[in-house]
Amino acid sequence: MKATTVIAHDRAAVAPRTQDQVGAYDARLVRRLWRYVQPYRFEFALGCACLPLTSAFVLAQPYILKLAIDRYVAASDTTGLAWTALAYTIAVAGEFLFLYLQYLLTMRVAQKSLADLREDVFRHVQTLDSAYFDRHPVGSLVTRMTTDIDVINEMFAAGGMTILMDIVTLLGIVAIMVAIDFELAVVSLALLPVMVVAINFFRIKARGSYRLIRERLARLNGFLQEAISGMAVTQLFAQEPAQFERFRRLNDAHNQANHKSNFYEAALFSFVETMSAISVALIVWYGGYQILGAALALGTLVAFIEYVHKLFIPIRDFSSKYAVMQSAMTAAERVFGLLDTKPSIESGKARSRSVAERELRASGEIEFENVWFAYRNDEFVLRDVSFRVAPGETVAIVGATGSGKTTLIKLLNRFHDVARGRVRVDGVDVREWDLHALRRRIGLVSQDVFLFTGTIRENISLFRAIPDDAVRAAARAVNADRFIERLPHGYDEALRERANNLSVGQRQLLSFARALAYDPGILVLDEATSSVDAETDAWIQDGLGKLVRDRTSLVIAHRLSTIENADRIVVLQRGVVRESGSHAALIDAGGLYARLHAMQRQAGRVPGGGAKDESNAASANV
Amino acid sequence: MRRLFAYVRRYRARYALGGVCLVLTASLAMSVPLLLKYAIDAIAADQGLDRVGLIAAAIIAIALVQGVVRTFSRSLVFNVGRDIETDLRNDLFAHLERLGQRFYQSQRTGDLMSRVINDVTAVRMMLGPGILNLVNTPLYYVYGVGIMLSLDVRLTLVALLPYPVILWIVKRFSRRIMEHTLRVQEGLAQMSSRVQENLTGLHVVRAYAAEEEQAAAFGALNRTFCEHSLDLARVRGQLVPVMRTASGLGTLVVLWYGGTRVIAGVLSVGDLVAFLAYLNLLAWPTMALGWMISVLQRGRAAMHRLEHVLDTRPDIVDADGADPLPVVAGHVEFDRVEFRFPHAGNERPVLCDVSFTIEPGEKLALVGRTGSGKSTIAALLTRLFDVSGGAIRLDGRDIRTLPLAQLRGAVGVVPQDPFLFSTTLEENIRFAAHDSTEAEVQEAAAAAGIARDIESFPDGYRTQVGERGIMLSGGQKQRTTLARAILADPKVLVLDDSLSSVDARTEREILTSLERVLHGRTSIVITHRISTIQDADRIAVVDDGRIVEIGDHHSLLARNGIYTELFRQQRLEEELAAL
Repeated sequence: MKATTVIAHDRAAVAPRTQDQVGAYDARLVRRLWRYVQPYRFEFALGCACLPLTSAFVLAQPYILKLAIDRYVAASDTTGLAWTALAYTIAVAGEFLFLYLQYLLTMRVAQKSLADLREDVFRHVQTLDSAYFDRHPVGSLVTRMTTDIDVINEMFAAGGMTILMDIVTLLGIVAIMVAIDFELAVVSLALLPVMVVAINFFRIKARGSYRLIRERLARLNGFLQEAISGMAVTQLFAQEPAQFERFRRLNDAHNQANHKSNFYEAALFSFVETMSAISVALIVWYGGYQILGAALALGTLVAFIEYVHKLFIPIRDFSSKYAVMQSAMTAAERVFGLLDTKPSIESGKARSRSVAERELRASGEIEFENVWFAYRNDEFVLRDVSFRVAPGETVAIVGATGSGKTTLIKLLNRFHDVARGRVRVDGVDVREWDLHALRRRIGLVSQDVFLFTGTIRENISLFRAIPDDAVRAAARAVNADRFIERLPHGYDEALRERANNLSVGQRQLLSFARALAYDPGILVLDEATSSVDAETDAWIQDGLGKLVRDRTSLVIAHRLSTIENADRIVVLQRGVVRESGSHAALIDAGGLYARLHAMQRQAGRVPGGGAKDESNAASANV
Repeated sequence: MRRLFAYVRRYRARYALGGVCLVLTASLAMSVPLLLKYAIDAIAADQGLDRVGLIAAAIIAIALVQGVVRTFSRSLVFNVGRDIETDLRNDLFAHLERLGQRFYQSQRTGDLMSRVINDVTAVRMMLGPGILNLVNTPLYYVYGVGIMLSLDVRLTLVALLPYPVILWIVKRFSRRIMEHTLRVQEGLAQMSSRVQENLTGLHVVRAYAAEEEQAAAFGALNRTFCEHSLDLARVRGQLVPVMRTASGLGTLVVLWYGGTRVIAGVLSVGDLVAFLAYLNLLAWPTMALGWMISVLQRGRAAMHRLEHVLDTRPDIVDADGADPLPVVAGHVEFDRVEFRFPHAGNERPVLCDVSFTIEPGEKLALVGRTGSGKSTIAALLTRLFDVSGGAIRLDGRDIRTLPLAQLRGAVGVVPQDPFLFSTTLEENIRFAAHDSTEAEVQEAAAAAGIARDIESFPDGYRTQVGERGIMLSGGQKQRTTLARAILADPKVLVLDDSLSSVDARTEREILTSLERVLHGRTSIVITHRISTIQDADRIAVVDDGRIVEIGDHHSLLARNGIYTELFRQQRLEEELAAL
């Protein structure tokens, strides 16, 4: 049942649009991108202004050549010739100067606005709820922020802007050719319709093969990623030959697709070269006829040959630029799709972020009032749960795996919202709290300790600006300083990926130190179940005691010692509060807890009941 | 690099053919400006339209032939590059399959992916477009310079004056571009791992309201990346203008000096036009030179990294003359086994003096605290690692003398961390038994307690499990991997805490239904839940890499040692569940 709903949900949520459904220009996406470009619009406008200037210098070059031949060489004017040669050089230098400026300005705009976009995506992803991460692998989110945004950058670098410039240049060339000599212009451009038809044909063919390559490469990469991370499984089942066969087939398919596109690319490249040479032949033939009839100057003919060369190259490159635009639009669509995913948990306003730090550290109050909650449909994991933790009090939650203990924490912290009822912190519904302030108010120590790449110090401070003394004091208070100081670099010891260099117990002590350095008014602790050696366990128990002292604490307890030390105990069974009260009261009541406690006593050494190694703190273990 | 030549040699016939075609293409392309010269001279000299028409026809004919030959040569050379890429990737994958866990522990998946994808691509760029330009550039130079010299020696020498400068610029720039590119790639990698880690630890970030700090750290990387990208853009953007302007100087010379020579009557206008055309034709190969240098550099560096992987010797291999056991009975023996992780810094062994035997058909349970070394025992039995001391025997034979395929076929492990491939449930279960029938798949699924779940999915056994089985719950994933191991029909089945994500009651149910499957098989059950293995033939307690207690449930409880302590600790959980 579980998976069924997840799958159905996922299909609805991610209805992917294929590359073909996204055009090379999508006004909606471009408008959204524009919002990121806008802060840099001045630079953008300057970059755009360079476009017609570059084109003008390009267009001038063949014309200068014509002047040189017709006016100065023909008239044997060496001085004039020298000046035209200089003018030609200036035209070349001008072309590239403005091309450079345009490229640089565009890249500045692109890099800066895309950096903004990347940061927006990063911030946005921080707000998404856990259900989202259940459906989207982390790897794909990383791709959104890196590869996809890089693809959009390509549009600025090699797509959109240059297409604009090409169009300006093309129109300019046609206009100049027509202005100089209409008939010769018609002859020169005679092959243009053939070119357009043929290039369109190649574009469609190439698009099909590009898509095929992309799909097959994606499958090859996906397979590879999985094959490498699951290599142990493959080896354990001696399935190397079968896996290799799968890989070889995907690899071959990818190669075949590339062979096809190589052919189209080569054919297109050659076709344009051939067309351009034929056009030159036509110009020579018709122009020669005109010159012999004295209707045309030789320089004009040379200029036309040059113009035709400049005309055909952008036409040739159009299809690859088109493909760049298309991928950029697809990438933009994916990135914006991620940005459009609304977090289901939104910050409240009644308790704002401006609540003073001092107030956040003061001992707080928690209240669950008739709380119902279900992760899916009507499968309630909490039913009508009510209890209160008074300021300074420690309450232990006792219950089996799956009784809803961890869910309580998630509701308190607003990782999820209640279905019915309400959760209050300091008398204010958590949905009305500013999320940041709420989470600043509550310190959470979870069962599995997540450590970041960084130093011990950074893992305690979580990269906040906390004075060194405070970090050390926190570590000392929870007995973490002993092992930290034994590390080669002490507090500056770098933790490796997933921190394999620390033991389970050390990681727990570190998470205690982290919570203490955070100094929250309310502490929520999910006690670890994993067993550690007796000595470490003693340190952990001692550290735990210091952590909850003078603090409102909600502890999901797994050890009898923790339970017995709590002010009050809440017994949770399949989402329902069955009993609550102090240890003594519950024992007296003779209910579930009393029965449980009695069984524990029978089962073996009684906590504090005269076991042989009583002095050892491990005896506090059940 | 010697390895690379082996690949090139394999395709030498096609390379040779491609080379011939390239020469032909270049010859045809280089003849066009010359024909143009004749045409213009003919026009200028008033030699009549017939001659001009003839030359135009020749140009058209050449263009057509050239079009065909060029298409052929380009796709030929590029395809060879692709074929070598495919071969290299296959070889690399096959080699990766032979490397053991020792290798994978020292490598990140992302890095290996980058080897197989990016580095192989870099090698292909070197062998395809790289080689094409390596042939073309000198060819164009020889033709271009040769023809220009034949037209006018002095003008040629003057026109080519800027070219040494261009070469120098190209070399300088390509090194800088390379450096900047590496920095940008490094930045991108850093950002990726930052995001990856942030998302993995997001629950902590949120609980500690540390989003701002995380965003700030990411922002810093992001800005550095942005700056480096701009540096790269600056250098890259400068290259073309600087070079084109330098080659523009060549044009200046031709136009001015050439023009005066035309005026002086030494040269014809046709010569002048031809000169300009040849300079234009040389401009592209010259620019491509810079690109080619970086392609070659990158390709060589990539090949070095690939060789590093390819030269890593697999440490777990079949021994010479390893002959299989005729029949596997399932007798397992650990004889004073010692093991140290190859990469761990501390010298303490993970396992020390571990000895036990399991008779065929017997069930041994391994219990102990987290990190005590239980899972290592499973890893050693399947030779994911080799022992550092002592020996492990299957039916009396040291497992290192058995063919790996037989050993791993005989010993089935259900690992702690359920790994599923992103195909269907059926294909995952069938992973190690491709030719099993549908009924057998369903039987295995039933034995693993997953059949009912699967049947409730709309697509049943054809359900796509998603990346790493993301569509399934943790318990469903574990039971699917269990079904996979059952279907493989091993003589020895090892369950490495492989039902940790299901609740204790369900685990007990599954283990009960497994009894039928386990009948006649040797089994090792590693678990952190003592309640589920109380009925095992023998229970061994592992602590700190040693077997400290061994016996059945009752005798162990009587010892009042670690087992008893673990047992009591878990009673609370158990009883709470039973409430």
